[in-house]
Amino acid sequence: MGNKQTIFTDEQLDNYQDCSFFNRNDILKLHARYYELAPNIVPMDYRKNPIVTVPMSVIIQMPEFKENPFKERIVASFSEDGEGNLTFNDFVDMFSVLCESAPRELKASYAFKIYDFNNDNFICKSDLELTLARLTKSELEEEEVVLVCDKVIEEADLDGDGKLSYADFEDMIAKSPDFLSSAYTMFPELLPLMESIRKDELLSGRGGASSGN
Amino acid sequence: MASFYLRQRSAQSDLETPESVSLSEVFWEEEMESLCSSKVALRTLPYAIMDKRLIRDLREPDMVKASFWERWKKKWRQVYQQLLDVGLRLTGTFGLWKPDLYEIGGLFGTGIQSYFTFLRFLLFLNLLTMLLTTSLVLLPLVWLHSPSPGPAPNICEGLISWTLKWGLPFLVYPFPQAFINTYLFYGAYRMGPENDSQYSVRLAYLLSPLTCLFLCFCGTVRRMVKGLLHKQLLSKDYRPRLSGKLFASWDFCIRSREAATIKQHSISNEFKIELQEEQRSHQMQQQSRKQRAQLLLSYVGLNMFIGLLVVGGISAIYWATKFSQNHKDESLSLLLQYLSPGVIALVNSLGPLVFGFLVQLENYPPNTEINLTLFWCVVLKLSSLGMFLFSLRQQAVLCIGRSDLSSCEPHNYNQCDQCWETSVGQELYKLSIFDFFLMLAFAFLVTLPRRLLVDHFSGQFWVWLGREEFLVPKNVLDIVAGQTVTWMGLFYCPLLPLLSSIFIFFTFYVKKYTLFRNCRPSPYLFQASSATFFFQLVLLLGLLVASVPLLYVISSIPASGNCGLFSNYSAPWQVVPEAVAIRLSPAAQKVFYYLSSNVIWYPILILLSLTLTVCISQSSANKKAIKGLRRQLLWQVREKWHLVEDLSQLLQDSRGPDSWGPRSPNSQSSHPRSFCPGFPCPGSPKPRLFTAESTHSQVLSSFFHLHAFEFWCPSLPTSTFPFLIIPEL
Repeated sequence: MGNKQTIFTDEQLDNYQDCSFFNRNDILKLHARYYELAPNIVPMDYRKNPIVTVPMSVIIQMPEFKENPFKERIVASFSEDGEGNLTFNDFVDMFSVLCESAPRELKASYAFKIYDFNNDNFICKSDLELTLARLTKSELEEEEVVLVCDKVIEEADLDGDGKLSYADFEDMIAKSPDFLSSAYTMFPELLPLMESIRKDELLSGRGGASSGN
Repeated sequence: MASFYLRQRSAQSDLETPESVSLSEVFWEEEMESLCSSKVALRTLPYAIMDKRLIRDLREPDMVKASFWERWKKKWRQVYQQLLDVGLRLTGTFGLWKPDLYEIGGLFGTGIQSYFTFLRFLLFLNLLTMLLTTSLVLLPLVWLHSPSPGPAPNICEGLISWTLKWGLPFLVYPFPQAFINTYLFYGAYRMGPENDSQYSVRLAYLLSPLTCLFLCFCGTVRRMVKGLLHKQLLSKDYRPRLSGKLFASWDFCIRSREAATIKQHSISNEFKIELQEEQRSHQMQQQSRKQRAQLLLSYVGLNMFIGLLVVGGISAIYWATKFSQNHKDESLSLLLQYLSPGVIALVNSLGPLVFGFLVQLENYPPNTEINLTLFWCVVLKLSSLGMFLFSLRQQAVLCIGRSDLSSCEPHNYNQCDQCWETSVGQELYKLSIFDFFLMLAFAFLVTLPRRLLVDHFSGQFWVWLGREEFLVPKNVLDIVAGQTVTWMGLFYCPLLPLLSSIFIFFTFYVKKYTLFRNCRPSPYLFQASSATFFFQLVLLLGLLVASVPLLYVISSIPASGNCGLFSNYSAPWQVVPEAVAIRLSPAAQKVFYYLSSNVIWYPILILLSLTLTVCISQSSANKKAIKGLRRQLLWQVREKWHLVEDLSQLLQDSRGPDSWGPRSPNSQSSHPRSFCPGFPCPGSPKPRLFTAESTHSQVLSSFFHLHAFEFWCPSLPTSTFPFLIIPEL
């Protein structure tokens, strides 16, 4: 039942359960991961809704993100302030969208934001070139890059304005079969619950100095 | 709540005139209403958690004290949802090997992971088959106290003493007489004559292989269709190849630096290959007819040559089987016992090398090369198995029902062992065991030494040789062949799926060890999506190869008169009419005869053709609709930009030169007036000044567009998350 935990109120856990694809245990495990990232910033007690953000530089060190060429963009598109500093709500949001059970449309919405480097709600040619550069680590030559970007716009641009709007993007994603298998799906390592509770007990034993930050 | 109001207020502060404020508010409220009244699950909405909570509160205000009944309902809904989650996790595969699969996917990518997932799928197919057979056949047989598998008649003692004299170990002649009379083989199943009150073990024995094959067929087709999605169904114009590669090819499960580097290489390679193919197809279109004819001729010639090689390989298998059956009791029995599996293995390992070499000579595009080689490997593998079974049965069938057994004695089908089904079962067991031990031998006697040698020596040769590559298609073909053998043997050796499951279980760990320690990943990564389709397709072909002979044997070949359940029937299938005649009432019998006669097929055929016609006409109508809608979309967007330009022109005229307006992508001073009928567009995107405001807030404040969009273009597919904003007025 989780009565031992003092991190969230029951109502908060219910909220998280409704608004994400995780259940109570997973939320507690996610909190343990979040806490591990920055133990001196993140409080163990979230019952009073503290406003705490973890900077992007710490989050992109997580093993799930380390090798992803778009890690900064992913974190930035889930953050409240657009700079990549995630609150716990954003953290839960991020993994909920990236988890296995999230539907394709939801992932496509956030994927569009990831590739929109200049944040103008369109994926224009410069965005495409940046994407390609990050994806292939500049292994392609100049003219190949130009060719690929032209071809992508030609294939996916339905409304003929030379760049991809969200409708174009979603339509194109719906037609690519690879999307469901491995793209935009992550399996975060969630510690077994006993460990995280033990940690909680250890730290609350040290006094409530770090809680209620 | 607070953050939401913040967003609203900030959105309002962007707008200046009172008219625009009320307009945006109107849209805002309409949108909120539609969100609140729709039943879409909260968790699938693309908003931040705070906004989702707001929407939830608006949908079911919990300020009002909910009645006891509603709270109880909510509680039960939560419990039900949890049960559903747990149930979903349990169904399918009980999470077997899940951490291993994640590890493999993270280190090597999902292409190789799909091979291991496929192994798991086959393991469960076999276990389910085993469960079905045990519950339907074995348990009732044991329960009904049938006469125990009798001791062999005395004539066979000579045979027993012969095997014992040579003292051959288990592996060499793995089926001493003791084993033959167990439930491992067909011959040991015995039952009294049919009567209408008892459970008919015969019927169960006959129908369980058919049921298992049918269930495997359904499971495989279901998985195939799931992996198919829209891939094959769209015409070539609408398939976004490059864009799909750009946006959907990075594997988010990768965690190691090497795997990331390899994936990057492979993605770059894929782009290069795609560009090359484009160039090639351009070139080909400009070729003369003579060149095209030459190309076609060389293509056909190559395929015919490879086909001849395949036929040659298969006939080698046939002669090897015949030879080993003919000389069954000679002294070199070890070699001869395993001659046919050995020849099969030899043909199947040389074949792909030869095919690959020949295909590369012709200088085809890489995709064609890979597909062609793969196709011929599949053909070779499955036809070699089919030929093996055919030659076995030929030998066996020839000796049935003959009064003079003199010609059959060399085949060992003498009086005491007149059970050809058991012999066929023996051969299948041998093939299965041989394949497994061959796989082990390759893993530990070839790959491992190769890795050790390559690591310790640094000569030119060793550097060139390198570690072995983990080739997914080759491994998949091996398992599918093993599964085909298992399916072939369902009728002759009902416990073969159990052996198969045990082998697959160990194969998983051996292959994992080989992958992690002794292999290097190949530079051409196997795409996971095409992998699923390919695996299921090959599995279906294997199923076909296994079921066609089975159906033929069940329906037309008389069983051995001396052993097994069907000894008094002209063909095993005759049990079914007999059971119908005994057990069902006359009215039911009439219905059954009608259903199994030829007359029933006419209405079914007519119905099927009608359905097919409807589907085809529907799909061509859909294609036309798609074309029309795409045209409409182009017109609408152009109309929209045109209107925006008109608006900005008006603004400039009314306010002077310092207000700014958005520019359309094709803005020219003179362009044609609107040529598309349509309602005016309420807004257009403007290049957004990036402030420190959250990206979420912009998103939420701009989804008004959904409603307006639906208003003037109801037939277009709309998404829940468009990105258009009201212009500054």
